[in-house]
Amino acid sequence: MNDLWNNLNGSPNIQDGGEIGVVTQGSLTEGVEMKLNPDRSVEDVKAGKFVVIEGYKNQFFSMITDLSLDATNPEILLYPPRESDQLLHSVLNGASTYVTVALRPMLMLEQGEEVVDEPRPVKTIPSHFSKVVEAEEEDVSRVFGSEEKDDRFFNMGTPLDMDTPVCINLNRFVERSNGIFGKTGTGKSFLTRLVLCGLIKNKKAVNLIFDMHNEYGFRAMKEGGQGNSFVKGLKQLFGNQVALFSLDPESSRQRGIQPDHEVYITYDQIAVEDVIALQDELQLNPTASESAYLVYAMYKNRWLRQLLSLDGPDVEQFAEDIGANKSSLSALHRKLKRIENFPFMVNSLNGADAVDTMMDYIDRGIHIVLEFGRQTSMLAYLLVANILSRRIHEQYVTKSEKFYASQNSEDQPRPLVITIEEAHKFLNPATARQTIFGTIAREMRKYYVSLLVVDQRPSGIDEEVLSQLGTKITALLNDEKDIQGVLTGVSNASGLRSVLASLDSKQQALVFGHAVPMPVVIKTRDYDEIFYKAMGDLSDEERMEKAEAASAAIFGD
Amino acid sequence: MALTQLDISTEYIGEIVESSTSQFTSESRELNGAPPFGSFVKTLGALPVYGLVFNVCTHSIEPNRRATAYGLTEQELREEQPQIFELLKTEFEAVIIGYGDDRGPQQVLPPQPPGIHSFVFPCTESEIKALTNSGDFLRSILCGNRLPADDLIIASVRNAWAARASDMPYLVGIGKDLCRLIRDDYDRLSSIMRRISQ
Repeated sequence: MNDLWNNLNGSPNIQDGGEIGVVTQGSLTEGVEMKLNPDRSVEDVKAGKFVVIEGYKNQFFSMITDLSLDATNPEILLYPPRESDQLLHSVLNGASTYVTVALRPMLMLEQGEEVVDEPRPVKTIPSHFSKVVEAEEEDVSRVFGSEEKDDRFFNMGTPLDMDTPVCINLNRFVERSNGIFGKTGTGKSFLTRLVLCGLIKNKKAVNLIFDMHNEYGFRAMKEGGQGNSFVKGLKQLFGNQVALFSLDPESSRQRGIQPDHEVYITYDQIAVEDVIALQDELQLNPTASESAYLVYAMYKNRWLRQLLSLDGPDVEQFAEDIGANKSSLSALHRKLKRIENFPFMVNSLNGADAVDTMMDYIDRGIHIVLEFGRQTSMLAYLLVANILSRRIHEQYVTKSEKFYASQNSEDQPRPLVITIEEAHKFLNPATARQTIFGTIAREMRKYYVSLLVVDQRPSGIDEEVLSQLGTKITALLNDEKDIQGVLTGVSNASGLRSVLASLDSKQQALVFGHAVPMPVVIKTRDYDEIFYKAMGDLSDEERMEKAEAASAAIFGD
Repeated sequence: MALTQLDISTEYIGEIVESSTSQFTSESRELNGAPPFGSFVKTLGALPVYGLVFNVCTHSIEPNRRATAYGLTEQELREEQPQIFELLKTEFEAVIIGYGDDRGPQQVLPPQPPGIHSFVFPCTESEIKALTNSGDFLRSILCGNRLPADDLIIASVRNAWAARASDMPYLVGIGKDLCRLIRDDYDRLSSIMRRISQ
């Protein structure tokens, strides 16, 4: 009998596709409302679900953004039927008490039309009583493309409650700077690794990854895993296509990793802008940059070495000599002294300059992961990322200008994507306008360099930068300010807000922006053996077989 | 539907003595033998007409005379005064809820009222199902004059439900129709539904 009542009240086992409701009202600006079919349980309808509204001429691909319980007669709410009165429950369900679902049409396609590169925005709404159905597999591949169709599509996961892959268009992805957000522990690094794998596998751009926590290059700990649960890093998956650079070779070796290169930085390579970027971290006064520029005016590239070589009392005299404010320069001197403690700071280089080596790799299309080892202080990260990116960007500007002049396709630089973590430290409103990352984020693809911004605190990032990010992949965010930050520059953001706050804390993300035709909530792809295989990685046995075959080919049986 | 002469003479339960487009009155074939309140009945004519019994009364055959109390049980009365039962008759009134044409029962008032002296029969199960497959018959009840609407709904829906072997989804569907018809009168709805399912 209980089963019977369940069936009448919207059975949880009604999972088949088909009609889930009809459109009852709505507007273009606010989205449309649907009355849920009484035979559907409200608990099966989740925010973020991908549904299709069947209009007369068009199909509207929509996302569920809100759900509400309504009643035609307030008396029912004052005197709810007793629990034992199942018949009355069933009679009221769908008649006097009903569920309204708010839908946000995200994409409009004529019946049978395919998505072309530039998706058409929704310009109208479906008529009254249009049927709303669950999206089917072909709808998903029609909207998001599929990996089989084209190598620009990369499978990121599946929509909620479905098994068809949702792909992002990598060609469009690399056209802009992008962001990956989510609060701690929601799988940001995992999402980042996934995107990087896509870019590397499909050869859409060269990556430079500032790997603060050593989790991209070689193996990384799997969160929530049991025992020794490690996942493969990019170097393991892509071998020669990825080069490991290390700031702390000792740490790398201790972890059993042999880096391809060690990175050292000389004092002469630090420009005044690099120091300004550390304003927050070093708590520099606003006048510090003026003082630094005064020193720079006198000593040019050697300004920092010169400044740090002084001892306490000499600084005041030095300030007087160059006409700087004594206390300001002393403060700058005192604070910059911290830089001397970093083991990667050297007076002169023994081997090649790290940036030259990196450029050499980048020109050959080899991706670079820079591990920070134990140098996990924010100061080290900011300093190194700034110096290297600034210098690489300078070289890219030169290359791009050369290409613009010659218009020879051989001169065209390879697109470069720089991945930075803790991005709000680089791109906060105070420094974003002055640092290299702010410049890259704003100037977009003019010089073939873009950013992949990874952050847990998007509200700390400059709004202008946020609004310029092309594609945003966002795991769960709780803070209202962060949600608002992520949705900066998105039209009709209100619906996405509730979706974003209701994501699962693991393996779920909202993808929206330039690389997908419409926002979509995905259950992210598993990062497991199947994924490794798809990335072209071989299992141990296969590798052994391949090696044997190769040796047989060379030396004979 | 095609009844033989023999069936007609043995199975009819009443004969129409007063008829209009929306209602008819029949005299029961036997004293106190009227169909139950809320049961579905039909008349056979050029077009069969379907009705729902909403009133049953037994009274003297003489309009100006009333029965008198004797202070005896029915058994004693039958032995001592058998003639008085010949002076009484039972009548029942039915509200018309549809008629039949070549497509089957239609939930619309008939073009012509049933003829006087037509015989009245109980509906078969399949006819009840056809007449009650939507909640439209409830509207006829609610819109009718001087009908005990709530009780008639309860009785008729119970009959319709019984014809469907107590199929619960049917009852829920009728409940939803009723809910709309009585304009979300929650008290009334809950009272009716409770009494139907008792």
